[in-house]
Amino acid sequence: MKFRFILSLIFHIMDLPEPLHDFLLVFLGSGLILGSLGVVLFTNPIFSAFSLGFVLVCISLFYILSNSHFVAASQLLIYVGAINVLIIFAVMFMNGSEYYQDFRPWTIGDGITLLVCTSIFVSLITTILDTSWHGIIWTTRPNQIIEQDLISTSQQIGIHLSTDFFLPFELISLILLVALIGAIVVARQ
Amino acid sequence: MFLLYEYDIFWAFLIISSFIPILAFLISGILAPINKGPEKLSSYESGIEPIGDAWLQFRIRYYIFALIFVVFDVETVFLYPWAMSFDVLGVSVFIEAFIFVLILIVGSVYAWRKGALEWS
Repeated sequence: MKFRFILSLIFHIMDLPEPLHDFLLVFLGSGLILGSLGVVLFTNPIFSAFSLGFVLVCISLFYILSNSHFVAASQLLIYVGAINVLIIFAVMFMNGSEYYQDFRPWTIGDGITLLVCTSIFVSLITTILDTSWHGIIWTTRPNQIIEQDLISTSQQIGIHLSTDFFLPFELISLILLVALIGAIVVARQ
Repeated sequence: MFLLYEYDIFWAFLIISSFIPILAFLISGILAPINKGPEKLSSYESGIEPIGDAWLQFRIRYYIFALIFVVFDVETVFLYPWAMSFDVLGVSVFIEAFIFVLILIVGSVYAWRKGALEWS
């Protein structure tokens, strides 16, 4: 516990006091699980789409807890502001008669999906608990201690994006152009 | 205030901006008279008699607009860190960002000419 506290002071992982951080973690985690259950289980698709918006807001608040404010803001802007709105617009095209009406019995496909998802879940939990996160954090960030206090995170992102990752930056614009033209061509048919 | 000290102004703004609509609704709820006539309960259509049905068919133009917005929103998110570090970087980075925006202006002109930006 003390080692983690000192580590968090050096690397600015948590700025909040420890019990508050744990409480917010549990609170957001339970909100996330309830929201995702709501996405799957609601019969009205508009409720389902709004629950998805709630899940994405919870993920954004997780990023604030991990002290990456730029990622949190961009998550709110893109996921909640653009992609969730797109999903709600797509849901609006459904008529009222297409809503889930009759209760379908359990099929074989449901059983296979349950098996696959449970095995993925179990393997993820065991992998997360078995890796040593402290070792990874110590070895990947020793040379960034000095510059981290003087420049804010978004400025660091901007500097790295335009000097080290300049070519991916330009290729991203090409990818966005292709996505835009493709979307317009497909939607006009 | 207590947590995340550099966001003091943000917390104050958030609290005040959540408080003002609540205050507005409370005051108008207390001060406004309540008379329910048949004209009061009909839908509002800029002062004229309501024409047609209130529920409209959702048109595909709205969806195409939101789709174009997603692409340009992602572009804007990439411009934010460049803007934050603009004063410490040189002219070459300015040219790079100019090329980035130029390629996406080509896409915007394509959307414009194909009529995807028409609202009606």
